[in-house]
Amino acid sequence: MTATTPRSGTGRSASGRSGSARAASAGRPRHARSALVGLASVIVPLVVLVALWQLGTTLAPSPFFPPPVAIGQNLVALLFGGPAVVTPVFVNDFLSTVGRMLLGYAIGCAWGVVVGTAMGLSRASRETVTPIVEFLRSIPATATLPLFIILLGGDDDMRVVFIAYGVSWFVLINTASGVGSIHRTMLDLGRVFRISPARRLFSIVLPAASPKIFAGLRIASTAALLLAIVSEFILATNGIGFQLIQAQGRFLLLDMWSWMLALALLGLLLNSLLDLVERRVLSWHRLSRQKI
Amino acid sequence: MTDTTTTPPSSAPSPSGVPGTPGAAVVVDHVSHTYGRGESAHHAIRDLAFEVMPQEFVSIVGPSGAGKTTLLRTLAGLLQPSEGAVWVNGVRNTGVPAGMAMVFQDYSRSLLPWLSVEKNVAFPLAGHSSAGARKELVDEALEAVGLRGFEKRYPWQLSGGMQQRVAIARALAYRPRLLLMDEPFASVDAQTREGLEDLVLRIRDRYEMTILFVTHDIDESVYLADRVLVLSRPPATLVEDIRVQLPEPRDQITTRENPDFIRLRGHVARLIHGAPGH
Repeated sequence: MTATTPRSGTGRSASGRSGSARAASAGRPRHARSALVGLASVIVPLVVLVALWQLGTTLAPSPFFPPPVAIGQNLVALLFGGPAVVTPVFVNDFLSTVGRMLLGYAIGCAWGVVVGTAMGLSRASRETVTPIVEFLRSIPATATLPLFIILLGGDDDMRVVFIAYGVSWFVLINTASGVGSIHRTMLDLGRVFRISPARRLFSIVLPAASPKIFAGLRIASTAALLLAIVSEFILATNGIGFQLIQAQGRFLLLDMWSWMLALALLGLLLNSLLDLVERRVLSWHRLSRQKI
Repeated sequence: MTDTTTTPPSSAPSPSGVPGTPGAAVVVDHVSHTYGRGESAHHAIRDLAFEVMPQEFVSIVGPSGAGKTTLLRTLAGLLQPSEGAVWVNGVRNTGVPAGMAMVFQDYSRSLLPWLSVEKNVAFPLAGHSSAGARKELVDEALEAVGLRGFEKRYPWQLSGGMQQRVAIARALAYRPRLLLMDEPFASVDAQTREGLEDLVLRIRDRYEMTILFVTHDIDESVYLADRVLVLSRPPATLVEDIRVQLPEPRDQITTRENPDFIRLRGHVARLIHGAPGH
């Protein structure tokens, strides 16, 4: 799981930069320029890396490290083309993985928010549940896959449950900490003005905890992709993970690289989407912190 | 000018079952509160008894850590006292009483940062009235605290003093009969504080509320109030119930120059610091 952290980390800092650009709404030209600078600082290193790689593989061709242009072209050929615009591989493997991942992610996040909120709100439940949570989440989620296979079989439902299980911890822990650290004054406020418990939950508790919940959702999104792929390494008949293993077995290195590229793009897309949602939902949080 | 009233409410219930003077806005009937048990028990307040009449402005002062917050939370119905009871407008507190609002010390935490100023002020009103009526209440409250034109701003875009005015507006829009204020001006600068003090006096007249004002600032307690309740160190008991009879309307300069004001603040300070007086 440690491998997931660096990516989500850079994603956040990049969003912070463009976020501060948005905040300076007073000076439009400056805003546009700093957004450009932000974009350039992301793209330039990438372009340089790809160019160096391309150059290196042209000068010294290696079967293990195909040139990036070939990887990209191969990926397009794998996914698109044919009479239906997209290939059967796109539908059977790419979309299956995305679908399972999103479903598992949604279920895991919902569960994490519900249980985390309950833990955060009640000290008694927090104290009872925390040791159990700490123990269970110490088991690497990937290590629980064999158990899930035995309990639920080798089909898609098992994969969804496995992803949901692994993802839920990040959201649960963050939600519990976010809800648990809401200042007493904010909770008192709801009681003093005799606001109904349901409205207190949805209009005070969850918004107040939302910055931390979002941090959990972000880490969880990276984990969801990771767990989806791992779950397809065993007993699968479709999916990107399945394709990776197949390519490895047949020594199709170009395919392997192309699928890795597909995963990178998928991860980036997911991260950007979350970024977009977060920017809309949490603009108050970002701006109020800049104020201080 | 100053007479010390020591008339705690009698525990003997009146025909209506409410202890104390009939018609009192708040009756604190021999309230004690202890946190924890056994060795580590902390006696925050002990056998407090006083009452507040409608539209009275009562300050509560005491040394830091004197259980002022405990008392206020008990009055607000957020805390059930270990012993005794609080009656607000003739109803015994079993939870938060109706018709009561509160202004908290920590405005940065009592205002919801994801809501605009007008939505913060309207927050407690949802479901209480129609949208039109809500808008009227919000506009009037913002006007009363001098914040018209800031409706669409967010709390964190305002200065501390303005944020506390939003919190006051929120309380006003709720139209409470009883307003509790918990050291509301402790974290604003001195000049802002004077402005807010006069604002509170103005709205008290306009909205006909009973106000209970907890503060650790002796000058402020005397300047604002009709009565000052002085609490002792914990376990807090009532040291003295002082009637303040200074010329109305109060004025930041002339009131503070008034010999009675100076004498009173000295008296309260001696009570709090426990120094030998007069």
